[in-house]
Amino acid sequence: RTDMEETEFDDILDDWFIESLKTYKDLHVYQLEHPTQVIEWTSGKTVCVAGFTSSKNEILELRLPLKLFADENKGLCAERDFKVVHGGFTDAPVRFSNCLNLQVWDLGGDDSDVIRRTGSVDGSRGVSEGGSRIAARLSSQPQVLHGAESAGVRLTQLTSGQTVYTLETDSADPLSSLHFVSDAVFLAGCSNGKVYIADTRTSAAPQLSPPPPSSGESVLWWTDASAGPSCLDPSSCRIVRLSSCGQTVISDLRNPGGAVSRAQLDVQTRRCNADDVRVSWAPALDDCIAVSGFSGAVQIYSSSVWTTELQEAQPLFEHRGHAVSSQSDDGVPVFVTSHVWHPERPRTLLSAASDGSVHVWDWVDQSAAGC
Amino acid sequence: RSCILVSIGGKNIMLDCGMHMGYNDDRRFPDFSYITQNGRLTDFLDCVIISHFHLDHCGALPFMSEMVGYDGPIYMTHPTKAICPILLEDFRKITVDKKGETNFFTSQMIKDCMKKVVPLNLHQTVQVDDELEIKAYYAGHVLGAAMVHIKVGSESVVYTGDYNMTPDRHLGAAWIDKCRPDILISESTYATTIRDSKRCRERDFLKKVHESIERGGKVLIPVFALGRAQELCILLETFWERMNLKAPIYFSTGLTEKANHYYKLFITWTNQKIRKTFVQRNMFEFKHIKAFDRSYADNPGPMVVFATPGMLHAGQSLQIFKKWAGNEKNMVIMPGYCVQGTIGHKILNGQRKLEMEGRSTLDVKLQVEYMSFSAHADAKGIMQLIRMAEPRNMLLVHGEAVKMEFLKGKIEQEFSIDCYMPANGETVTVTTNPSVPVDISLNLLKREMALGGPLPDPKKPRTMHGTLIMKENSLKLVSSEQALKELGLNEHQLRFTCRVQLQDPHSDTDTLHRIYTHLKSVLKGYTIQHLPDGTVMVESIVIKVSSSTEDPNTKVLLLSWSYQEIYIYL
Repeated sequence: RTDMEETEFDDILDDWFIESLKTYKDLHVYQLEHPTQVIEWTSGKTVCVAGFTSSKNEILELRLPLKLFADENKGLCAERDFKVVHGGFTDAPVRFSNCLNLQVWDLGGDDSDVIRRTGSVDGSRGVSEGGSRIAARLSSQPQVLHGAESAGVRLTQLTSGQTVYTLETDSADPLSSLHFVSDAVFLAGCSNGKVYIADTRTSAAPQLSPPPPSSGESVLWWTDASAGPSCLDPSSCRIVRLSSCGQTVISDLRNPGGAVSRAQLDVQTRRCNADDVRVSWAPALDDCIAVSGFSGAVQIYSSSVWTTELQEAQPLFEHRGHAVSSQSDDGVPVFVTSHVWHPERPRTLLSAASDGSVHVWDWVDQSAAGC
Repeated sequence: RSCILVSIGGKNIMLDCGMHMGYNDDRRFPDFSYITQNGRLTDFLDCVIISHFHLDHCGALPFMSEMVGYDGPIYMTHPTKAICPILLEDFRKITVDKKGETNFFTSQMIKDCMKKVVPLNLHQTVQVDDELEIKAYYAGHVLGAAMVHIKVGSESVVYTGDYNMTPDRHLGAAWIDKCRPDILISESTYATTIRDSKRCRERDFLKKVHESIERGGKVLIPVFALGRAQELCILLETFWERMNLKAPIYFSTGLTEKANHYYKLFITWTNQKIRKTFVQRNMFEFKHIKAFDRSYADNPGPMVVFATPGMLHAGQSLQIFKKWAGNEKNMVIMPGYCVQGTIGHKILNGQRKLEMEGRSTLDVKLQVEYMSFSAHADAKGIMQLIRMAEPRNMLLVHGEAVKMEFLKGKIEQEFSIDCYMPANGETVTVTTNPSVPVDISLNLLKREMALGGPLPDPKKPRTMHGTLIMKENSLKLVSSEQALKELGLNEHQLRFTCRVQLQDPHSDTDTLHRIYTHLKSVLKGYTIQHLPDGTVMVESIVIKVSSSTEDPNTKVLLLSWSYQEIYIYL
């Protein structure tokens, strides 16, 4: 890199940072040694990240900077760093918290900072290339829902290894995600756009929501369901489906086949990796969706202005920090590998990118209407 | 407090001599009884090395050298030598004058201590004595901070002090060559953190300043003359320019002269960008930043002021603080650590009512912001340093052992070296495998090569013969003849003889010839010669024939061989 290029890069970065004074309340930028595809909350203040190379990977439990939570005494708190609370190693790539075989990890208590593998749960048969998806059941006994295809999703008791429930479907559709919408009801989102809704208390067949229309052969779909345990009435939950062409459909759980609203998002189709795309409902804001994985940005949309007609939608906010601050030597543009919303703080998100960067940001809603 | 004792090759070295800022009693000093129970330390230490001017690394130095007693050399870099006494004097003033302590070092002691200092240049090997040598490397962190390489014979240790692996606006990043020390001692206070980027910290600073200015408030930034002040000024200047801001920015007098003076002296210790700027113009010539006059503090409207001293314990920054503290629109930004007993320390602990001289109280209504700009190595930085230096063993100090098992495992796995994490007061013994260098004479080497056979292979040792001479601390391998020559001894050759009698009526010459022919037929593969001087040689065994004087039919065979040949024929 020449001096000129270096200065230009610095200028653009400086510009973005100065602009960020108005557009973000809080902003933290970190660099991990290895990129992660996983950001999972382990408590209100800690997240787990892990590498995904084919050889040895690190799993880290990170505590968010104290300054973020200081609130009243924010000024007196200088702590801006991630604290590595626990760390461990695994031989497999870590995606969606596991790979082909479910591995169970003990985060360790206060007396040690090492994460150790304590066991494993057999992965489902007929594993697809993408590996299993999982969802933790929010109940007293630790249970996990897992599977790679719709026919074969199981709910397993972690301590005994016993299967408590099995999803039975007519076809074996590869999954893109699993979500609990209440203590007993879950959604299995398939990459072909189908969504199965099942109740672990009954042996009745699951409800099927067919893929949205105008879905082609090679189109992939990702799903998220709004409101998990805090949703008092599971039937008022919403499902959002996002396709690899940017088509977005929102359905109501009471009428899974229909569409409440739609939008066409500008996703700048690049050769996107199915594992990188994330679509998520904001847990503490109404009708707010975050989308990432198509580029080096995370986009926030307000679906309250969408209609049943398929129209182009503009993002309410775009976090371009990863793209702007990335110095890619090999000419490959950086792309976001994962994002999560903070469970309580309305506008706080964490995002990770392919260059190993992890950002924690609290954006400012500058629109009149919106989230 | 940092204070590490290393024993290497019979030498004792003290690394740093810091003060613990959290204690008010003797616990703030290192416990020198580990060296000796009573008396002075001079006889027990070969040298003392100080890494940089922060008080937790040099704060106890005058106490150690003047009150406990040490007269040997104290090594530190030039900038450290220039800045240390200033910080120590400030610190002494606060502790004695403000807090009224008595068991503390005096101004004269600081002066006497600094007389013992021997300054170091970067990458220059210094012989402390015949056997001990040290070399300083750039550590980043603060102006003049160094990492130190210590060598005795073929054993070595590197001590990092505080360092950082990412350059900032006024300092470069730490650097060391692949010196492969037996032990690398690294600070690990931040080993379990992943640091927020520099730009984010700066953004926070700009945001705070801007918010205050926007609401018409005044911002006070107490600084120490060096380091952060320069960086923050550059930052504000750039921001003001970009945003076209009009509020005035000032720095107090005294700040500029001192800072300029030190930067001129130590320009080689700053980074490339600063050096380039300095060449173009005076360091403190800014478009938007002007010299402060104390009357400006009463001017209405927003403004930003950089003033010394950094902990608000006296002088101009304290005066300004007193004037501005009562207005909640105003702000004070503390850019670093404040010693106990100072106003800075009190307000950072949330105190909102301060007792001033003359029993008056000051209500602190302005916004207090604590920002940390210090540059330290985190886990990633430590791994980077290990990759650079390639130590054989790793030692992490000042971390919490329980919280560093993961890092220890990571280091041991990636580099296949042992990683130690001793607690305060604990001794770690590391066994080293020093290689002993031996010189070999060229003649001996040539001779061995001439013997032929396979080429030297490090995996297949080959036996060779020579004599090892130890002379004046060097080891030499020479041929036996040369050794004897050096010793002034004559070489004695041993030859063995044996007489064999046999009955043979032939003449001496004929008998000899028959023996020759016979040996030639049975001893295939050996060199057998019939020489004109009447001897037969089998390799180097000599055979002579003579007749017995009593009986001409009795032949006496005289066999003679030298010592070396014995084993060939057994």
